[in-house]
Amino acid sequence: MSTPALEELKSNLRAAPKRILDTAFRSGKPSTDRTRSTFIFGNVFLHLHSTRVHRWTLRWSTTLGLGLATTAAFLITLITGVLLMFYYKPYPDAAYQSIKDIHFVVPTGRFMRNIHRWAANVMVVAVILHMARAFYTASYRKPREFNWLIGMGLLATTLGLSFTGYLLPWDQLAYWAITIGANIAQSPREVTDAIGITDWFDPGGAQRFLLLGSDTLGPEALIRFYLLHVMILPLALVALMSVHFWRIRKDGGLARPAGADERLPDPAGAMYPVFTQAPAKTYSLAAIVKGRTAAVGQGPENTVPSMPHLFYAELGVFMLTTLVCLALALVSDAPLKELANPNVPENPAKAPWYFLGLQELVSFSAFVGGIGIPMIVLAGLGLIPYLDREDSGTGEWFGGSGGPGVVKQALVVGFGAALAIETFAIRFGWIREWYLAAPQLLITILNPGTLLAAAYGIYSVWLVKRHRSARAGALGLFTCFLCGFLVLTAIGTYFRGPNWVFYWSPSDWPRH
Amino acid sequence: MRKNKLLLLASSLGVLLLLIVAAVQENWLKPWRQVQAAGRIDQSAIDVQLRQITNAKLGIGDRCVSCHVAMAPGEQAVKGSLMFAPHKPVVHDPAEYGCTTCHSGQGSATEKDDAHGTVHFWPAPMIPLRHAQAGCGSCHVALGTPGRVAFDRARATFDRLDCRACHRVDGSGGTIRPDGGGMEGPDLSRVGIAGYDADWYAKHSAKSEKAAAGPWKTSFAQTGAGDLELLRAYLATRTAAPALVEAKSTFLSFGCLGCHRVGGVGGDEGPDLTRAGEKDPGQADFTHVPEGHRLDGWIAEHFRSPAAVTAGSQMPPVAASEKDIDRLTMFVLSLRRGDLPGVYTPVDRMKAARFGQREFATDGATLFGAFCSGCHGPEGQGRQAPGGAAFPAIANPDFQSIVSDKFLTETVRQGRPGRRMPGWAKEGGLRPEEIARVVEHLRSLSGTEPAAEDSWSVAIDPLEGVEIYDANCSGCHGPKGQGGKGPALANRAFLDLVSDKYLFETVRRGRRGTAMAGFEEGSPTRRALAKDEMEAVVAYVRAWQGR
Repeated sequence: MSTPALEELKSNLRAAPKRILDTAFRSGKPSTDRTRSTFIFGNVFLHLHSTRVHRWTLRWSTTLGLGLATTAAFLITLITGVLLMFYYKPYPDAAYQSIKDIHFVVPTGRFMRNIHRWAANVMVVAVILHMARAFYTASYRKPREFNWLIGMGLLATTLGLSFTGYLLPWDQLAYWAITIGANIAQSPREVTDAIGITDWFDPGGAQRFLLLGSDTLGPEALIRFYLLHVMILPLALVALMSVHFWRIRKDGGLARPAGADERLPDPAGAMYPVFTQAPAKTYSLAAIVKGRTAAVGQGPENTVPSMPHLFYAELGVFMLTTLVCLALALVSDAPLKELANPNVPENPAKAPWYFLGLQELVSFSAFVGGIGIPMIVLAGLGLIPYLDREDSGTGEWFGGSGGPGVVKQALVVGFGAALAIETFAIRFGWIREWYLAAPQLLITILNPGTLLAAAYGIYSVWLVKRHRSARAGALGLFTCFLCGFLVLTAIGTYFRGPNWVFYWSPSDWPRH
Repeated sequence: MRKNKLLLLASSLGVLLLLIVAAVQENWLKPWRQVQAAGRIDQSAIDVQLRQITNAKLGIGDRCVSCHVAMAPGEQAVKGSLMFAPHKPVVHDPAEYGCTTCHSGQGSATEKDDAHGTVHFWPAPMIPLRHAQAGCGSCHVALGTPGRVAFDRARATFDRLDCRACHRVDGSGGTIRPDGGGMEGPDLSRVGIAGYDADWYAKHSAKSEKAAAGPWKTSFAQTGAGDLELLRAYLATRTAAPALVEAKSTFLSFGCLGCHRVGGVGGDEGPDLTRAGEKDPGQADFTHVPEGHRLDGWIAEHFRSPAAVTAGSQMPPVAASEKDIDRLTMFVLSLRRGDLPGVYTPVDRMKAARFGQREFATDGATLFGAFCSGCHGPEGQGRQAPGGAAFPAIANPDFQSIVSDKFLTETVRQGRPGRRMPGWAKEGGLRPEEIARVVEHLRSLSGTEPAAEDSWSVAIDPLEGVEIYDANCSGCHGPKGQGGKGPALANRAFLDLVSDKYLFETVRRGRRGTAMAGFEEGSPTRRALAKDEMEAVVAYVRAWQGR
């Protein structure tokens, strides 16, 4: 016996799977250009994308996929990190033992930890390269100035994430690297000591104490670093990343040269129709959207639907990044030394590799390496979009006044100056070796770090004058900064031994 | 888009491939999985799974049994690989104590090199198997161990009295005889801990008298109190760690405690050795160790040439046979002090740490061997390290016949301030009764009687001795008596203790076997001194006491 109500129930039940699918997509299955666009627009995760993307953006040479690689590396660390959290115990000694367990008995634990470690390093490298890409293609210009600043925030957060993760294994490597890091945070003391005000004004000590939660590196520091690493910094990063992506869309997609449309070849035949339907979306909102958006003023002729064109590119880069991380994880284990022992200092104790350039500067003057140079670099980088207000060369590799020529020259100057000053300091020592009684303030003002910064600064001012362009100066300064970073980091990583003495190879290090 | 699609396809396939590789590694290529795959109990395969022994109180989680499966509790029957040898029967059940408690190494590891601790960055490598008993030192201290001479004598007595005819001890003796007898007596390997019937001798004698034949008649004979005392000493050392006891008794014969502390007792010239066996090989310099990167090799080489292994070491090379160096190495390896929870603290360690019981026997010979022989020589014959000042030959009869026991006792007690001889009446030094036994032992080394207290004193103006002293004595003893090649004479502690008679007799007769000649008779290089000249010298030396 069947009643209409039961019949209806039955047919509803039969239709349920299809309806669940339909309702999931809100605007129906994304099968036409229009539904694909509305799908992206209406999806909470995808709407950070624009629905259509310019064909210039999809050229590999435009971005090299570096921003996406950074995002991909972050997602990989996020997934593997959450898996590691199931076993990790953030308390001294127990932390070390839990890493041993992850390494030896947790199923695929070693693999996951290796991936996590490699993805973190890939992320640091990729974010620096991504910044270089954005700089060299002059993509920071109007209206994208603020996104450059957000990008710098992301760089700092990435380094913070990597640095806080460094301590968690609680082994000798971690312990002494973070000790060095915390001492770098304390470096303003060099100046406050020199002028004798540390007793009542001690920002260095306060910074260090804030970081460690104690005078020594112990359980308080570990729980702080853990909380920063798994909660505060990732949330900050996700928030900044969302704004970063959102601003790309709102600032009119990626920067491209003025003549991009003319320079693009005709779309290949296999491509989805470039433009098959008039956009259903009206641009009435454009009145409150600042700047030139993808569609306003230019017409959508050279855009293609993000789905699937952009998605293939994004997924491709994501999988490639995953491949790189997995391959590195298979061939190289993440390091784990002895259990942290506050009584047995590592010699040399080295900070994580991306801070070794700073540590090299700190070895000359703690204040300059720990505060002075980083502040100058951050301020300089942040000011770039506001000092360079030119238009020529936007979206072009090494575009703008001077162009590749300045970059080549700056490579010579940058490497030359860094190597020359380092060679001199290593060969002949510095003021303290010549006059033991030299006042500390003199060394703080006059040391290889400040000299190098001054040389780079003078060179870039000269470039500005010569090319009558802030962009030329910026090209020179940024290139020099990269060269200095590379030279100092390489020296700190490979050529510094016990007591921070220069050695050609670790096999020359004196034994204990 | 085609390029991006290809990129996606290629990298996805690559990722898939790497994931398969990782899965194979994880599920098939893990070393312990491959080891266990060979495991069989009565022809049937065993479960391939991670095995471990945990004990929260001891803080261990030992996965060694993932490969050494037959040592896991209840799995002795596993066969199929050389790695599946069951553990030798031991007092401490591995099911409770785990592996690293005794053997050290890295219990949480599941791969050979990591587990055995022969990798970088693991500070506690496994104790080599031939020195396995050194692991006992993690918890135990062998109490009252005699020095080598006393120990050898006691063991020789045990063998000579044919106790092994019936008793098994440390895996030998108690043989099964063709006539069906054998193993009549209990195993004595652990009687040092477990104890034994104090009346055993009377009971043995009674049985032997009644017996008509057999081992009671042939292997037991009555003996004297001296032998019984030696047997008692020997049995007290039977703690199931014979090699370690022998190593320790060797250590106690090289005078090491004269400079090093062990367990709070000993000298302060050298580093405290209480935890020397826990040394992290990663922190040791192996440049001058020929045997490779192993802690035992480092320790052995350090005995052979200390200054070569540890730059700046003041320790003289240990003049020992390779066999003894091996024993010394084993003992040093045994010097570890794991932090033990209360219930696991063994009685012996408690007795040593809390109740002041000595780790060494406190007879004079052992004490002399352990504390004094490093400088004064095993027979008290004195010693001179190349380039250093000579250490006095304190067993010399010429010396002993003119000193009083008080002189010897006080010298041991206070030492000689300003000289190498430390005072032993200190915290971590010797107790009064122990010092008395050392003095007694010194007397027995020379076979002389103590000199009587003598109040005779010279009555001559010290100034008369100046020239004689300068001409005859200052070459060795220094122009101001500060010492040189010979001992310091202008030393308050020395002069307070010696009598004029001692000084006079030493000048008169000299000390045979040393550079100190007697001045009663001349030699081709110097003239004899007259009695009043010698007395003048004594007066001159005595005058330094007042300063």
